[in-house]
Amino acid sequence: MSTRILIIEDNPTHLELMTYLLSAYGHSVGAAESGSRALDALNRERPDLILCDVQLPDIDGFGIARRLKSHPEFRSIPLVAVTALAMAGDCDRLIAAGFDGYLSKPIDPEKFVQQMELFLTNRCR
Amino acid sequence: MLVRSPDALGFIVEFLQSSTEYALIAKDLDGTILLWNEGARRFYGYEPGEILGKVRSDTLHTPEDTAAGLPVRMMTEALQCGKWEGLVTWVRRNGQRSVARTVLTPRLDAYRRHTGYLLISKDVTDERSAIQAEDKFRDLFEFAPDAIVVVNQEGQIVLVNSRVEKLFGYARAELLGEPAEMLVSEGFRHQHPPIGGGLDVVGFRKDGSEFPVEISLSPVDTEEGILVSISIRDVTERKRLERALKAKNLELENANRAKDRFLATMSHELRTPLNAILGFTGTLLMKLPGPLLPDQERHLRTVQASGKHLLSLINDLRDLARIESGTVELNPEPVDCRSVVEDLAAALRPSAEAKGIAFEAVVCPPDLVVRADRRTLSQILLNLTNNAIKFTERGSVSLRANQRREDRILTTEFIVSDTGAGIRTEDQAKLFQAFVRLDSGQKQRQEGSGLGLYLSRKLAELLGGRIALQSEYGKGSTFRLILDEAQS
Repeated sequence: MSTRILIIEDNPTHLELMTYLLSAYGHSVGAAESGSRALDALNRERPDLILCDVQLPDIDGFGIARRLKSHPEFRSIPLVAVTALAMAGDCDRLIAAGFDGYLSKPIDPEKFVQQMELFLTNRCR
Repeated sequence: MLVRSPDALGFIVEFLQSSTEYALIAKDLDGTILLWNEGARRFYGYEPGEILGKVRSDTLHTPEDTAAGLPVRMMTEALQCGKWEGLVTWVRRNGQRSVARTVLTPRLDAYRRHTGYLLISKDVTDERSAIQAEDKFRDLFEFAPDAIVVVNQEGQIVLVNSRVEKLFGYARAELLGEPAEMLVSEGFRHQHPPIGGGLDVVGFRKDGSEFPVEISLSPVDTEEGILVSISIRDVTERKRLERALKAKNLELENANRAKDRFLATMSHELRTPLNAILGFTGTLLMKLPGPLLPDQERHLRTVQASGKHLLSLINDLRDLARIESGTVELNPEPVDCRSVVEDLAAALRPSAEAKGIAFEAVVCPPDLVVRADRRTLSQILLNLTNNAIKFTERGSVSLRANQRREDRILTTEFIVSDTGAGIRTEDQAKLFQAFVRLDSGQKQRQEGSGLGLYLSRKLAELLGGRIALQSEYGKGSTFRLILDEAQS
């Protein structure tokens, strides 16, 4: 199942890791290193899944979630936070902000692709 | 005899004889008692027959007064000045002492020769104790720790104690008759606390300076009508302490927030490089870029294990900080034990099977429900079961749950058993302490933070439960998480 996944991530190493893993399993990956670029990318092409870091240079993850989840067209795209914010309450705050899922860094590369595909199949169901 | 005219004077003698309020005693020069009236009988307690002509009046004095020469002094003064008058302590027949206002006059015959004395006494013991009590109350009022101002119905000051003078800088005379409101700052002059209640106002001194006071009113019923007693307490020191305490609290809150921020930042900054280390080690070990030489694979496994160890340290320290800060929020709810155990089994069975050990999960009865915080319960069982798998090389690991009821206590037990290395008796007590790692006797040293069991114990305590351990070295271990619920 080839799908388009947009990764919003400002750390080039993390971006490369996730892109590498998802591409290895046949997904097509687009990237944006800031919130505003992500919004541009979304207007050009609609992805099937968005992975989003939280601490980003301009609009942070919370801001992105607010914009996407109040957007009539984008609100239905699954939005998953992939973040090194892993204190008690972080997950709850992100879900409350509108994220559909949460994965803390460091990711487990052996499970990562499968975990992300779960959001795709959930959506198809 | 003193009395010559039998008619008129006879009446007076009879009257005096029967008087009960005044004790009348006539005695001759050597102190022999000649007359003893009804008042004397009541006051001193002696019957006339016991005393007349028999007892000398000296014995009625206290030994101290006699030793101090009071009886002689009284008689000398009576002779010189015509009478002696004063308060005398008398000793009654039963030994009890009473104070009387006493008058001693000399008896003179028709030729003005001195023939003896007349002693008249009135018992003032009760009056005196009333006076003494009044003195005591005056002292209590005067030296009370609070300043006290008594005002009349018009609000004028009628009485103040010495604390008022000290606190406000006024002399007593400057206050009496003045309105009590002169003692409070202008803005507070029309505030009246309810009777019996307290009120914080600002006191106003003679020199114009102001200071915080707490005042409370209470009514006083007196002969002059209802007065109001106002207690005034200087609360400068208390207010200062309250401010200091508030500042300290704020400081602690800030320090706590700074600590939380620091922990969050540390956690975030440590995870960021670990993501790259564990991530790309993973892609290599998954052989996504291509095959690995055996040595390369072995080295990469070491990098991966060390990275995972570092991650477990970060996670456990984070959880520990959270537990010890006392801010863990628990959400106790009825938890379906089977779903908890099955979720754990699904997550852990692969690692057990990868080591070639059997894994069994049994909940009996299957519809077991325990009241607990689900996430905390899962975390404890995950720690215990993970440990069991880690320290078992062959045989099996099992996770079971059961429940029993005894004397209105419902006890739920989660039992994690393994056929692993076991723990020496002498090591068992140390096991639940922080950063303790025991020599498991395994060839490969096990990675771990040394915080897992310590955390599990703390979490069990949060749930109101405990963890019990049974183990035989070399044969295996059984950890029990025991949760008791009181049933009504």
